[in-house]
Amino acid sequence: MRIRLILSLAICMTLVGASWQTATADDAIAAINQRFASADVQETPNFQKHVVPLFGRLGCNGRACHGSFQGRGGFRLSLFGYDFQADHDAIFNEDSPRVDRENPLASLILAKPIDEDVHEGGKRYEKDSWQFHVIRRWIEGGAEFKKEQVQKLTELKIVPNEILLSKTGEEVQVKAIAIWEDGSQEDVTPLCRFQSNDDQVAEIDQNGLVTATNRGDTHLVISYDKAVVPVPVIRPVTDLVGDKYPQVAARTKVDELVIEKLRKLGVVPSEVCGDAEFLRRVRLDLTGTLPTAEEVKAFLTDEDSNKRGKKVDQLLETPAYAAWWTTKLCDFTGNNTQNLNNVSSVGREHPPTQDWYDWIYRRVEQNVTYDKIVEGIVASNNMPPGQSYTEYCKMMSDVYREDDKSYADLPAMEYYWSRRDFNNNMEARAIGFAYSFMGLRIQCAQCHKHPFDVWSKDDFHQFKNFFARIQPAARNAPREYRDEYNKLVKELGIEGKRNNELQRELPALLKEGKTIPFGAITTSNRLLRTNNPDEEYPKFDDGKLLGGDVVDVMKVDDPRKVVMDWLRGADNPFFAKAFVNRTWAAYFNAGIVNPPDDLNLANPPSNKALLDHLSKGFIESGFDMKWVHRTIANSDTYQRSWQPNDTNKLDERNFSRAVPRRLPAEVAYDAIQQATASNAKAKSLCDSIDGRAIAIAGASARNGGNNGPAFALAVFGKSTRESNCDCDRSSEPSLLQTVFLQNDRDVLGLVDANRGTWLDGVARDLKPQPTTDDAATGRKSASLESQLKAAETQLQRFKKANNEQQVAKAERRISQLEKQLNESNASIAKVTTQPHESADEKVTSYIVDAYLRTLSRYPQQSELTRSVAYVQEANDPVEGLGDILWALINTKEFIVNH
Amino acid sequence: MRIHKTCDGVKRRDFLKVGVLGGAGLSLASYLRLLEAGEVAEKSRGMSAIFVNLPGGPSHMDTFDLKPNAPTEFRGTFNPIDTNVPGIQISEHLPKLAGCMDKFVILRGVSHTLGAHALGQEYVNCGSRPLPSLEYPGYGAVVVKETEQNNPTDLPSFVAVPNNTQQRPGFLGVKYAPLNTGDTPKAGQPFSVRGISLQGGLTVAQVEKRQGLLSDLDATFRAVEEDSQLLEGLDRFSEQAHSIITSKRSRDAFDISKESPAFAEPFGADPFGLSCLLATRLVESGVRFITLQLGGWDTHQDNWTRLSKGNGRSPGLLPQLDTGLSSLLNGLEQKGLLESTAIFVTGEFGRTPKINTRSAEGGRDHYPRCMFMLQAGGSVRGGQAIGESDEKASMPANEGFTPDDVAASFYHNVGIDPAKEYQTNTGRPITIVRDGSVIRKMFA
Repeated sequence: MRIRLILSLAICMTLVGASWQTATADDAIAAINQRFASADVQETPNFQKHVVPLFGRLGCNGRACHGSFQGRGGFRLSLFGYDFQADHDAIFNEDSPRVDRENPLASLILAKPIDEDVHEGGKRYEKDSWQFHVIRRWIEGGAEFKKEQVQKLTELKIVPNEILLSKTGEEVQVKAIAIWEDGSQEDVTPLCRFQSNDDQVAEIDQNGLVTATNRGDTHLVISYDKAVVPVPVIRPVTDLVGDKYPQVAARTKVDELVIEKLRKLGVVPSEVCGDAEFLRRVRLDLTGTLPTAEEVKAFLTDEDSNKRGKKVDQLLETPAYAAWWTTKLCDFTGNNTQNLNNVSSVGREHPPTQDWYDWIYRRVEQNVTYDKIVEGIVASNNMPPGQSYTEYCKMMSDVYREDDKSYADLPAMEYYWSRRDFNNNMEARAIGFAYSFMGLRIQCAQCHKHPFDVWSKDDFHQFKNFFARIQPAARNAPREYRDEYNKLVKELGIEGKRNNELQRELPALLKEGKTIPFGAITTSNRLLRTNNPDEEYPKFDDGKLLGGDVVDVMKVDDPRKVVMDWLRGADNPFFAKAFVNRTWAAYFNAGIVNPPDDLNLANPPSNKALLDHLSKGFIESGFDMKWVHRTIANSDTYQRSWQPNDTNKLDERNFSRAVPRRLPAEVAYDAIQQATASNAKAKSLCDSIDGRAIAIAGASARNGGNNGPAFALAVFGKSTRESNCDCDRSSEPSLLQTVFLQNDRDVLGLVDANRGTWLDGVARDLKPQPTTDDAATGRKSASLESQLKAAETQLQRFKKANNEQQVAKAERRISQLEKQLNESNASIAKVTTQPHESADEKVTSYIVDAYLRTLSRYPQQSELTRSVAYVQEANDPVEGLGDILWALINTKEFIVNH
Repeated sequence: MRIHKTCDGVKRRDFLKVGVLGGAGLSLASYLRLLEAGEVAEKSRGMSAIFVNLPGGPSHMDTFDLKPNAPTEFRGTFNPIDTNVPGIQISEHLPKLAGCMDKFVILRGVSHTLGAHALGQEYVNCGSRPLPSLEYPGYGAVVVKETEQNNPTDLPSFVAVPNNTQQRPGFLGVKYAPLNTGDTPKAGQPFSVRGISLQGGLTVAQVEKRQGLLSDLDATFRAVEEDSQLLEGLDRFSEQAHSIITSKRSRDAFDISKESPAFAEPFGADPFGLSCLLATRLVESGVRFITLQLGGWDTHQDNWTRLSKGNGRSPGLLPQLDTGLSSLLNGLEQKGLLESTAIFVTGEFGRTPKINTRSAEGGRDHYPRCMFMLQAGGSVRGGQAIGESDEKASMPANEGFTPDDVAASFYHNVGIDPAKEYQTNTGRPITIVRDGSVIRKMFA
C-alpha cells in the first residue's frame, strides 16, 4: 500500500512544454485559514488532520521546543508529530493538563501561544487568528482523539507539481490538496511544512509562496501528515534552452536521459575526453588501479575504434576489479575488525574479516548476481537442513584445515549477523540492514516520525521484527545443539576453558586433525527483544515490510527469507536503486541521489528517469553487476572531459562533465606504490592483488598503527565501517595527507633509489659505477675467485699424492666454481653495459616515463622543457629525476581522479 | 550543490550564519545570555589544551582517592600524604604532585558504567557515551575545529605523542585527526617526527627547489581550481604542508634539546616525562591540542608493585606520572602558559575497591562506577578536591559526576560551549557533549 503511495507521489519530470495542471481543487474543502477566519465558526477540527499539523506548522513539536525528548516547560509532543496518542495523552497529562474543557479559553494550549501566559517560545499566533480558532474550536468540541479514527492519507497532491522559473523574483504559489482514504479532499496548504532544498535556486515561505533566486535546479519539499512530497524546480542556467540548445549526440540511453535534463537546464556537456584521460579514469574507477606506463602507451597506439569498450570488458576480468568492488561491498556490509572480535572459533588464525572478504571476492570474480550475493549474506545458512551439529563441525573443520578448501566455498557468509554492533539489538539490525541493502537511513524513525520520509515510529519497530528471530553465529554452538557441543568439547578436553585459552587451543586441535566446535546461524522460535533497557520501543508481534505487507513473523520458517524475497522483487523500490546509485556515485563523485545512502523522499534524485532506467535495467539483467559497470563506463556521459565550458563549470549533480575527486584511500596507497616501483614490480602490482591495499579485508577506526599501509590508509580516510554510513569513508583532503605525500618516510623511501624502486633502475642505468647490489655481486665474484684459487692449490696437492678419487672430486669442484664465477661476472657486466642513447636522451625518456607512470599521459612540451632543465641543473641527474617523480606524485593531477 | 538538512530542516548554510557566534540554533541574544551566565568563556582564542591519557584504567584508591580506614580487603598498602593544600591528601608515591596540589583539581566520584577498555576509552576521550550509530569526535578534533581560523599555518594544530587512536575525529572527518609523532623524544636529542622532520639528509634549500618544481608542474587544474572545493583545498594543504616542513618554528617546536638543562632536568629521562617536556614546547610554539600517554594501568595483578616500583621491565607508574605531570604543571607555569592551557588527565575507569586475590600480591579489576579525573590550567582554581566517594571508594558519596560533566567543564575551560550543536554527515544534530553540565566549583 505504502509503495503505491510513494509511486503515486512521485513526480513525472517532463517539463518540456509544460502546461501547468490548474488546480483541481473543485471537490476539495476550502483551506482551513478561510474556514476558521471568523470567531463564529461552527466546525470542529480534527486532531489528526488539523490540530497536530498545526502544531507542526507553528513549530510546537520541533526539536528545540516541545518535540525535544525532554519536552519543554513540562510539556512534550512527539517530534514531528504522527504519534497522535502520545500527543493527545501529553495534552491531558494529569500533572499539568494543557486543555481545560470546562473553560476552554483558560487552556494552556490557547493561552501560551498567544503569549498571554508567559511562553518561552514567544508568541506563535494572534488571539482571534484562524490558528487560535482552530485550537479553540477543537477544545470546545471536546478536545477529542480516537486512535481508531486515524485515517490514511492516500495522496498529498501538489499543484503545480513541477515549477519552471525564468527570472529572479518571479513568484509561484504552491497549493497542497490532501486526499484521504475515504475519498474526501481538503486544501491543506496552510497546514503544510514547506522547504527548499537549495534556496540559492528558489525560496519558499511558510505559506507555500515560491520565489526565484538564482539559476539552477533543486526541489521543494512539502510535508503534511505522513506525506513528504518533492517538487522539482528548474531555472535554466543559460539561455540555451529549447530550440537554442545545440545538437548533442546521445550515443546511449544513459546519455539521452542525461542530456534531456541538461537541455532543460541550458547546460551543454563537456566534450568526450581523450584516450589517456579515459584510460586513467576507468582504470581507477573500475579496478582501483593506476594503469602502468606500458598500458598507457599501448592503449594510445591502439587503433581499434572500439578500444574503449574492449578495455572495459578486459578490466572487468581482472583481479583488481574483483578486489576493488569487494572492498566496496565490504564497506556497505560493514566488514569491521572490531565488530568481529571473538565470533569465530579460529578467529586468530583465520580472521573472520578475511573470510568475509574472500567470500564476496569469489562471487564478484565469478560475477554471481547481486541478489544471490546478498541472499548469501543475509538469508542463508551454512548448516544444511538435516545435518547434525557434529557433521557440521566436521565440515567446517575441514574448510579451515584443508588447503584446497575455503570459507568462500560455503553457501553463506554468516558473519553479517554476527556483527557485534548488532548483538542483541534488533534496532541496530534493522538500521544496518536498511543501510547496507536499501540505502536508507531509517534510524530517525526509531524515535520519531522520519522528518524526510513517510516512515513512522511504528513502521520502524514493525520492520525491526523481521530480524528478531536471528540467532547469529558465534564462537559457541547455537542453543539447540548445546548437547552435541558439550559432548564435542568434552572429547576435546577443553571443558570450562576461558575464551583466551580457547582462542589458542582450538586452532591447535584443528591442526591435529580434530573436529572442533563452530558457531552457526539459526532461527529462534521466539521473538527476541533488545537486550538494552535504554532502548525505548513499542512492542509489536508482527512484522511489516517498509511500505509493504504485514507478516506474522512467528508463522514463517525464517523471516529473513521473506525480507530477501521482498528485496529482490521487481517492484521493490530500494534494493536495485541503492546498488546502481552507489555504483553511479563511485563513477561520478555524486550519486543520482546524493548522499548515495540516503534514499528518502525529501532527497530526490537529480535525474529520476536516469535512476529508474538504471535500476530497471539492473533488475532485468538479473542483478548482473557487470551490466551496471558496462552501461555506465561505456556511456559518453562517463567519458566526458573534466574540462568545463561556460555553461557547466558549476555543475556537480547533473553529470555534464567529469568532476575531479580525490582517490579513495586504498587506491591512493596502491597508486603511490605502483607509480614509484620498478617496471617489473609495477606490472605485478597492476596485474595481481598481492600486496595491494584493495586486498586488505578488514577495517576499523581502532586498529590504526604507525606502520605499513594502516597509517597511510587512516590518513587518507579508508572506510572505518563503523556507523552504517557511506561517509565512514572520507574523500576529503587534509593537511596530513599532503604532509604524507611530501615528506613521509614511506613515500620518500619509495621515491628514492631503494631496492625495487623506479629510481633504483634509473640509477643503475645512468650511473655505471657499482650500486649496492653490484658491490655485493663484486664481493661474490671475489670470494669465488679465492675459493677457486684454493681449490686449484688442493688439486695440485692431490695430484702430487696421486689420490685419484680426490683429484676427480677437486676437478668437479673447480669446474663448478668456474661456472659460478662466470655467471657472477656476467651479471656485473649486464648492469654496467652502456645503452646506445646519449645521457640527455635518456633523461628525456625517463621524464616521459615518469609522466606515464604517475599521470598516465605524455608530458606537454612546456612540462618536458621545465623538467629537462631541472634535471640538467641538478647536481646529479638521478637526484633530479627523483625530484621529478616526487613532484609528479605531489601534483593534484596525481591524487585526483579526473 | 545540495544543501544537506538536519532532522530539523535547518540547513548547513544556516549553521554557517550563526557559526561565527559559536553555535547553531543559538540566536545572538541567547548567546549573550550564555556569556553572561559564564556558559561560554571569552578567551577561547588563546587557549591550548593537553589531554593526558592513562590507558588501562588507574586505580583511584591507590592514587588520588585513598581510603586509609577502609577494611584490609579494600584498603591497599599505600599510605596517604599531605599535600601543599591543607586537608587534601594523595598517595605517598606522588610526592611531587603533592607539592603542587595548588595547581590542579582532583575530581573524585566520577562514575560511569562501561567496564571494557575500548568503550571506556572512547567515552572518556569524547565525553559522550559511545553509540553504535555514531562516532563522537574526541576533544582534540573539536578544539581544533573550533579554533581553526586562529591556528598557525606552519604548525600542525593537533599533535599526539606518541599516538592516540582513541581520540578520533569521528563524524568531523579525517582533517581533524592528530599528527602522530609515532615515538617519544629522547633526553637532550632533537626529536625526529614523521612527516615533519626533514628526512634522509634533505636540506631546506633542496626542499624549496623541489617545491618550485612542483608548483611549476602542478598547473593542469589551475584555471578551474576556484570552482572546486577539492582542488582548492588540496592546494591550500599543499602550501601548508610545505611551510610546516620547512619552517624553523615547527622544527624548533619538536626539538626538546633546545630547552635549557635547568628547565628540562625536572622532567627526568622517562618517555612520559620527556613527552611532557615536549608538550610544554609545543604549547609555547602555538600547537593547539596535544595528547600524551602513559599506559600500563591495567593492574589486575601485582597492583602495588607495578604502581610504586615497577616490575623490572618498566619503572613504577606512579613515579613516572608524578615526575611528568608535576613538571608539566610547573613548567607551564614557569613559561607563563598555565593560565592559557587546559589540562585533562584521565584513564578509562577506576579499579575495584575490593582487592582480588588471584595473585600473591593481589590486584584490582576494571571499575567504572568510581574513578578520579584531574583538571588543571586555564581558569581552573587549583588546590581543590571536588566530589567524594563513599567510605570504600565504591561509588560516589553524593551525586557524583559523569564523564560528560567533566567533558563539559573541560570544554568550558577551553572556551567552547559544550552545548554547541554540530550536524553529523547523516544530518543528525548532535551537541558536542550530550548530557554533561559544567562543574561550577572547578572554576569558583
